[in-house]
Amino acid sequence: MKKTNLILALVFASGALFAQKKTTTSGTVNFDATTSLDALPKADNKTVVAAINTTSGTIAFEAIVKSFSFSNPMMQEHFNSDKWLDSDKFPTSTFKGKITNLSTIDFSKDGTYPADVAGDLTIHGLTKPATAKGNIVVSGKAISATAEFTIKLADYGVTGKAIEGGKVAKEPKIIVAVDFK
Amino acid sequence: MNVKRKRIILTTIILLVVIVACSVWYIFTVKFNDTKDEKPAFNVKALDLIHEFKTNDSLANKKYAEKILTVSGLVTEIESADSTLNIKLGDTLTGSYAIFAFQQQHLNEAKSIKKGDSISIKGSCSGGAYSEILESEFITFKRCAINK
Repeated sequence: MKKTNLILALVFASGALFAQKKTTTSGTVNFDATTSLDALPKADNKTVVAAINTTSGTIAFEAIVKSFSFSNPMMQEHFNSDKWLDSDKFPTSTFKGKITNLSTIDFSKDGTYPADVAGDLTIHGLTKPATAKGNIVVSGKAISATAEFTIKLADYGVTGKAIEGGKVAKEPKIIVAVDFK
Repeated sequence: MNVKRKRIILTTIILLVVIVACSVWYIFTVKFNDTKDEKPAFNVKALDLIHEFKTNDSLANKKYAEKILTVSGLVTEIESADSTLNIKLGDTLTGSYAIFAFQQQHLNEAKSIKKGDSISIKGSCSGGAYSEILESEFITFKRCAINK
Protein backbone atom coordinates (compact mmCIF):
# COMPACT_ATOMS: atom_id res chain seq x y z
CA MET A 1 0.00 0.00 0.00
CA LYS A 2 2.80 2.36 1.03
CA LYS A 3 4.65 1.51 -2.19
CA THR A 4 1.55 2.37 -4.28
CA ASN A 5 1.18 5.70 -2.50
CA LEU A 6 4.84 6.49 -3.14
CA ILE A 7 4.51 5.69 -6.85
CA LEU A 8 1.36 7.83 -7.10
CA ALA A 9 3.12 10.72 -5.33
CA LEU A 10 6.06 10.47 -7.75
CA VAL A 11 3.71 10.43 -10.76
CA PHE A 12 1.92 13.58 -9.51
CA ALA A 13 5.25 15.25 -8.68
CA SER A 14 6.64 14.61 -12.17
CA GLY A 15 3.38 15.91 -13.68
CA ALA A 16 3.73 19.10 -11.63
CA LEU A 17 7.29 19.53 -12.87
CA PHE A 18 6.23 19.31 -16.52
CA ALA A 19 3.33 21.68 -15.83
CA GLN A 20 5.58 24.46 -14.61
CA LYS A 21 4.90 27.97 -15.76
CA LYS A 22 7.33 29.27 -18.34
CA THR A 23 8.09 32.98 -18.47
CA THR A 24 10.10 35.62 -20.30
CA THR A 25 11.05 39.20 -19.49
CA SER A 26 12.15 40.00 -23.04
CA GLY A 27 9.03 39.44 -25.10
CA THR A 28 8.60 41.77 -28.06
CA VAL A 29 5.45 43.53 -29.20
CA ASN A 30 5.43 45.60 -32.39
CA PHE A 31 2.75 48.26 -32.85
CA ASP A 32 2.17 49.32 -36.44
CA ALA A 33 -0.39 52.06 -37.11
CA THR A 34 1.25 53.33 -40.30
CA THR A 35 -0.87 54.42 -43.25
CA SER A 36 -0.15 55.60 -46.80
CA LEU A 37 -0.16 59.16 -45.37
CA ASP A 38 2.20 58.60 -42.45
CA ALA A 39 4.98 56.07 -41.84
CA LEU A 40 5.80 57.31 -38.33
CA PRO A 41 3.26 55.66 -35.99
CA LYS A 42 5.28 52.49 -35.53
CA ALA A 43 7.00 51.27 -32.37
CA ASP A 44 8.37 48.24 -30.62
CA ASN A 45 8.55 47.15 -27.02
CA LYS A 46 11.28 44.58 -26.33
CA THR A 47 10.87 44.26 -22.57
CA VAL A 48 7.42 42.67 -22.29
CA VAL A 49 6.83 40.17 -19.46
CA ALA A 50 4.95 37.05 -20.55
CA ALA A 51 4.01 33.65 -19.16
CA ILE A 52 2.53 30.41 -20.45
CA ASN A 53 1.20 27.43 -18.53
CA THR A 54 1.52 24.40 -20.77
CA THR A 55 -1.00 22.35 -18.77
CA SER A 56 -3.85 24.82 -18.34
CA GLY A 57 -3.09 26.75 -21.55
CA THR A 58 -3.22 30.10 -19.78
CA ILE A 59 -1.14 32.84 -21.32
CA ALA A 60 -0.44 36.35 -20.00
CA PHE A 61 1.42 39.50 -21.03
CA GLU A 62 2.37 42.70 -19.20
CA ALA A 63 3.84 45.70 -21.02
CA ILE A 64 4.92 49.09 -19.74
CA VAL A 65 3.35 51.53 -22.23
CA LYS A 66 6.26 53.98 -22.15
CA SER A 67 8.54 51.12 -23.26
CA PHE A 68 7.13 51.35 -26.79
CA SER A 69 10.03 52.94 -28.62
CA PHE A 70 9.38 55.18 -31.66
CA SER A 71 12.07 56.57 -33.92
CA ASN A 72 10.46 60.03 -33.85
CA PRO A 73 10.34 62.00 -30.55
CA MET A 74 7.09 63.80 -31.45
CA MET A 75 5.34 60.49 -32.15
CA GLN A 76 6.63 59.06 -28.86
CA GLU A 77 5.17 62.07 -27.04
CA HIS A 78 1.79 61.84 -28.83
CA PHE A 79 1.53 58.09 -28.14
CA ASN A 80 1.95 58.64 -24.38
CA SER A 81 -0.08 61.86 -24.13
CA ASP A 82 -3.48 62.11 -22.44
CA LYS A 83 -5.11 62.32 -25.90
CA TRP A 84 -3.73 58.88 -26.78
CA LEU A 85 -2.72 56.16 -24.34
CA ASP A 86 -2.34 58.48 -21.33
CA SER A 87 0.53 56.39 -20.02
CA ASP A 88 0.94 58.48 -16.85
CA LYS A 89 -2.57 57.43 -15.80
CA PHE A 90 -2.52 53.94 -17.37
CA PRO A 91 1.15 52.86 -17.23
CA THR A 92 0.68 49.23 -18.27
CA SER A 93 -1.18 47.19 -20.88
CA THR A 94 -2.00 43.57 -20.15
CA PHE A 95 -3.43 40.46 -21.75
CA LYS A 96 -4.81 37.48 -19.85
CA GLY A 97 -6.15 34.59 -21.86
CA LYS A 98 -6.12 30.95 -22.83
CA ILE A 99 -5.08 28.80 -25.74
CA THR A 100 -8.46 27.53 -26.98
CA ASN A 101 -7.08 24.63 -29.05
CA LEU A 102 -4.71 23.35 -26.36
CA SER A 103 -5.52 19.69 -27.10
CA THR A 104 -3.88 20.00 -30.56
CA ILE A 105 -0.54 21.18 -29.10
CA ASP A 106 1.95 18.63 -27.80
CA PHE A 107 4.45 20.51 -25.64
CA SER A 108 6.51 17.33 -25.21
CA LYS A 109 7.11 16.91 -28.95
CA ASP A 110 9.16 19.21 -31.19
CA GLY A 111 7.11 20.95 -33.85
CA THR A 112 5.24 24.05 -34.97
CA TYR A 113 1.64 24.16 -33.80
CA PRO A 114 -1.05 26.65 -34.87
CA ALA A 115 -2.54 28.24 -31.74
CA ASP A 116 -5.78 30.12 -31.15
CA VAL A 117 -5.76 32.46 -28.19
CA ALA A 118 -8.72 34.25 -26.58
CA GLY A 119 -8.76 36.49 -23.57
CA ASP A 120 -9.02 40.00 -22.17
CA LEU A 121 -6.83 42.80 -23.47
CA THR A 122 -6.46 45.91 -21.32
CA ILE A 123 -5.26 49.10 -22.99
CA HIS A 124 -5.81 52.68 -21.84
CA GLY A 125 -7.59 51.37 -18.74
CA LEU A 126 -10.28 49.59 -20.80
CA THR A 127 -10.61 45.81 -20.92
CA LYS A 128 -12.09 44.18 -24.03
CA PRO A 129 -12.23 40.59 -25.27
CA ALA A 130 -9.56 39.83 -27.86
CA THR A 131 -8.59 36.86 -30.01
CA ALA A 132 -5.43 36.09 -31.95
CA LYS A 133 -4.10 33.36 -34.18
CA GLY A 134 -0.48 32.42 -33.87
CA ASN A 135 2.10 29.67 -33.82
CA ILE A 136 3.80 27.86 -30.98
CA VAL A 137 7.17 26.30 -31.70
CA VAL A 138 8.41 23.53 -29.41
CA SER A 139 12.10 22.72 -29.66
CA GLY A 140 13.45 20.57 -26.84
CA LYS A 141 12.72 22.43 -23.62
CA ALA A 142 12.33 25.76 -25.44
CA ILE A 143 8.91 27.13 -26.32
CA SER A 144 8.45 30.18 -28.52
CA ALA A 145 5.26 31.82 -29.68
CA THR A 146 4.30 34.35 -32.33
CA ALA A 147 0.97 36.00 -33.07
CA GLU A 148 -0.39 38.77 -35.25
CA PHE A 149 -3.70 40.54 -34.80
CA THR A 150 -5.35 43.94 -35.06
CA ILE A 151 -7.08 46.07 -32.47
CA LYS A 152 -9.70 48.80 -32.95
CA LEU A 153 -8.32 51.93 -31.28
CA ALA A 154 -11.86 53.27 -30.77
CA ASP A 155 -12.68 50.20 -28.62
CA TYR A 156 -10.02 51.39 -26.19
CA GLY A 157 -11.14 55.02 -26.19
CA VAL A 158 -8.31 56.20 -28.43
CA THR A 159 -9.64 58.68 -30.99
CA GLY A 160 -8.56 61.95 -32.56
CA LYS A 161 -7.97 64.00 -35.68
CA ALA A 162 -4.90 62.02 -36.73
CA ILE A 163 -6.94 58.81 -36.77
CA GLU A 164 -9.96 60.37 -38.48
CA GLY A 165 -7.67 62.06 -41.00
CA GLY A 166 -6.05 58.76 -41.97
CA LYS A 167 -2.58 59.53 -40.58
CA VAL A 168 -2.90 56.79 -37.98
CA ALA A 169 -4.53 53.43 -38.76
CA LYS A 170 -7.88 52.90 -37.06
CA GLU A 171 -6.94 49.25 -36.60
CA PRO A 172 -3.20 48.98 -35.94
CA LYS A 173 -1.40 45.69 -36.44
CA ILE A 174 0.11 44.08 -33.32
CA ILE A 175 2.87 41.50 -33.73
CA VAL A 176 3.95 39.48 -30.71
CA ALA A 177 7.06 37.27 -30.43
CA VAL A 178 8.17 35.55 -27.23
CA ASP A 179 10.77 32.94 -26.27
CA PHE A 180 9.76 31.29 -23.00
CA LYS A 181 12.39 29.91 -20.63
CA MET B 1 -0.87 98.32 -55.62
CA ASN B 2 2.53 99.12 -57.04
CA VAL B 3 4.99 96.52 -58.33
CA LYS B 4 7.37 96.94 -55.39
CA ARG B 5 4.61 96.24 -52.85
CA LYS B 6 3.45 93.18 -54.81
CA ARG B 7 7.02 91.81 -54.79
CA ILE B 8 7.32 92.28 -51.01
CA ILE B 9 4.02 90.46 -50.39
CA LEU B 10 4.96 87.62 -52.77
CA THR B 11 8.44 87.25 -51.22
CA THR B 12 6.91 87.18 -47.70
CA ILE B 13 4.41 84.47 -48.69
CA ILE B 14 7.14 82.35 -50.31
CA LEU B 15 9.35 82.75 -47.22
CA LEU B 16 6.49 81.75 -44.91
CA VAL B 17 5.71 78.67 -47.03
CA VAL B 18 9.39 77.65 -47.00
CA ILE B 19 9.64 78.12 -43.19
CA VAL B 20 6.46 76.10 -42.56
CA ALA B 21 7.58 73.34 -44.99
CA CYS B 22 11.02 73.15 -43.34
CA SER B 23 9.48 73.02 -39.84
CA VAL B 24 7.08 70.22 -40.83
CA TRP B 25 9.87 68.32 -42.59
CA TYR B 26 12.09 68.67 -39.47
CA ILE B 27 9.37 67.54 -37.04
CA PHE B 28 8.55 64.48 -39.11
CA THR B 29 12.09 63.40 -39.91
CA VAL B 30 13.90 64.15 -36.66
CA LYS B 31 15.05 61.08 -34.75
CA PHE B 32 16.13 60.59 -31.17
CA ASN B 33 19.73 61.60 -30.46
CA ASP B 34 22.36 59.00 -29.78
CA THR B 35 21.86 58.26 -26.06
CA LYS B 36 25.64 58.12 -25.61
CA ASP B 37 25.75 61.87 -26.30
CA GLU B 38 22.89 62.70 -23.94
CA LYS B 39 23.51 64.20 -20.50
CA PRO B 40 21.97 61.97 -17.81
CA ALA B 41 19.43 63.51 -15.43
CA PHE B 42 20.39 60.96 -12.74
CA ASN B 43 23.29 58.61 -11.96
CA VAL B 44 22.08 55.69 -9.86
CA LYS B 45 23.06 52.22 -8.69
CA ALA B 46 20.75 49.49 -10.01
CA LEU B 47 19.91 48.09 -6.58
CA ASP B 48 19.11 51.57 -5.21
CA LEU B 49 16.86 52.26 -8.21
CA ILE B 50 15.04 48.95 -7.77
CA HIS B 51 14.59 49.67 -4.07
CA GLU B 52 13.16 53.12 -4.86
CA PHE B 53 10.60 51.65 -7.28
CA LYS B 54 9.70 48.86 -4.85
CA THR B 55 9.12 51.40 -2.08
CA ASN B 56 6.79 53.62 -4.14
CA ASP B 57 6.63 53.11 -7.90
CA SER B 58 4.20 56.02 -8.46
CA LEU B 59 6.71 58.47 -7.01
CA ALA B 60 9.62 56.79 -8.78
CA ASN B 61 7.79 56.90 -12.11
CA LYS B 62 7.18 60.64 -11.71
CA LYS B 63 10.85 61.15 -10.90
CA TYR B 64 12.49 58.97 -13.55
CA ALA B 65 10.10 58.17 -16.45
CA GLU B 66 11.22 59.46 -19.87
CA LYS B 67 14.48 60.77 -18.39
CA ILE B 68 17.99 59.70 -19.31
CA LEU B 69 19.62 57.74 -16.48
CA THR B 70 23.02 56.22 -15.99
CA VAL B 71 22.60 52.97 -14.06
CA SER B 72 25.49 50.91 -12.71
CA GLY B 73 25.53 47.39 -11.35
CA LEU B 74 26.29 43.73 -11.95
CA VAL B 75 24.85 42.01 -15.01
CA THR B 76 22.52 39.28 -13.76
CA GLU B 77 21.21 38.14 -17.15
CA ILE B 78 21.51 38.66 -20.88
CA GLU B 79 18.41 37.81 -22.90
CA SER B 80 17.70 37.74 -26.60
CA ALA B 81 14.75 39.87 -27.67
CA ASP B 82 13.75 39.09 -31.24
CA SER B 83 16.92 39.93 -33.22
CA THR B 84 18.39 42.11 -30.45
CA LEU B 85 19.35 41.61 -26.82
CA ASN B 86 18.50 42.98 -23.40
CA ILE B 87 20.74 43.27 -20.36
CA LYS B 88 19.34 42.86 -16.86
CA LEU B 89 20.69 44.29 -13.63
CA GLY B 90 18.67 42.52 -10.99
CA ASP B 91 18.18 42.02 -7.30
CA THR B 92 18.82 38.29 -6.92
CA LEU B 93 17.17 38.25 -3.47
CA THR B 94 13.75 39.56 -4.56
CA GLY B 95 13.73 38.82 -8.30
CA SER B 96 13.09 42.50 -9.09
CA TYR B 97 15.15 43.91 -11.94
CA ALA B 98 15.96 46.76 -14.31
CA ILE B 99 16.12 45.74 -17.98
CA PHE B 100 17.83 47.62 -20.80
CA ALA B 101 16.94 47.45 -24.52
CA PHE B 102 19.68 48.86 -26.73
CA GLN B 103 19.74 51.47 -29.46
CA GLN B 104 20.50 49.82 -32.80
CA GLN B 105 23.93 51.49 -33.13
CA HIS B 106 24.99 50.20 -29.70
CA LEU B 107 23.96 46.57 -30.08
CA ASN B 108 27.48 45.35 -30.86
CA GLU B 109 28.86 46.90 -27.64
CA ALA B 110 26.07 45.21 -25.70
CA LYS B 111 26.94 41.85 -27.28
CA SER B 112 30.41 42.00 -25.72
CA ILE B 113 28.96 42.15 -22.18
CA LYS B 114 28.85 38.97 -20.10
CA LYS B 115 26.84 37.84 -17.10
CA GLY B 116 28.61 38.97 -13.92
CA ASP B 117 30.27 42.01 -15.53
CA SER B 118 30.20 45.27 -13.61
CA ILE B 119 28.84 47.88 -16.02
CA SER B 120 27.26 51.28 -16.41
CA ILE B 121 24.40 51.72 -18.88
CA LYS B 122 22.85 54.95 -20.11
CA GLY B 123 19.25 54.84 -21.31
CA SER B 124 15.80 56.36 -21.34
CA CYS B 125 13.81 55.11 -18.34
CA SER B 126 10.34 53.93 -19.38
CA GLY B 127 9.24 53.50 -15.78
CA GLY B 128 8.50 50.56 -13.56
CA ALA B 129 5.57 48.47 -12.36
CA TYR B 130 4.77 45.49 -10.19
CA SER B 131 4.48 42.35 -12.31
CA GLU B 132 1.64 40.06 -11.28
CA ILE B 133 3.21 37.37 -13.46
CA LEU B 134 6.63 37.50 -11.79
CA GLU B 135 5.45 38.87 -8.43
CA SER B 136 8.29 41.35 -8.48
CA GLU B 137 9.05 44.90 -9.61
CA PHE B 138 10.38 45.51 -13.11
CA ILE B 139 11.86 48.71 -14.49
CA THR B 140 12.39 49.06 -18.23
CA PHE B 141 14.75 51.18 -20.30
CA LYS B 142 14.80 51.90 -24.03
CA ARG B 143 17.40 53.42 -26.46
CA CYS B 144 20.30 52.30 -24.25
CA ALA B 145 24.07 52.49 -24.72
CA ILE B 146 26.94 51.09 -22.69
CA ASN B 147 28.34 54.00 -20.69
CA LYS B 148 31.75 52.49 -19.97
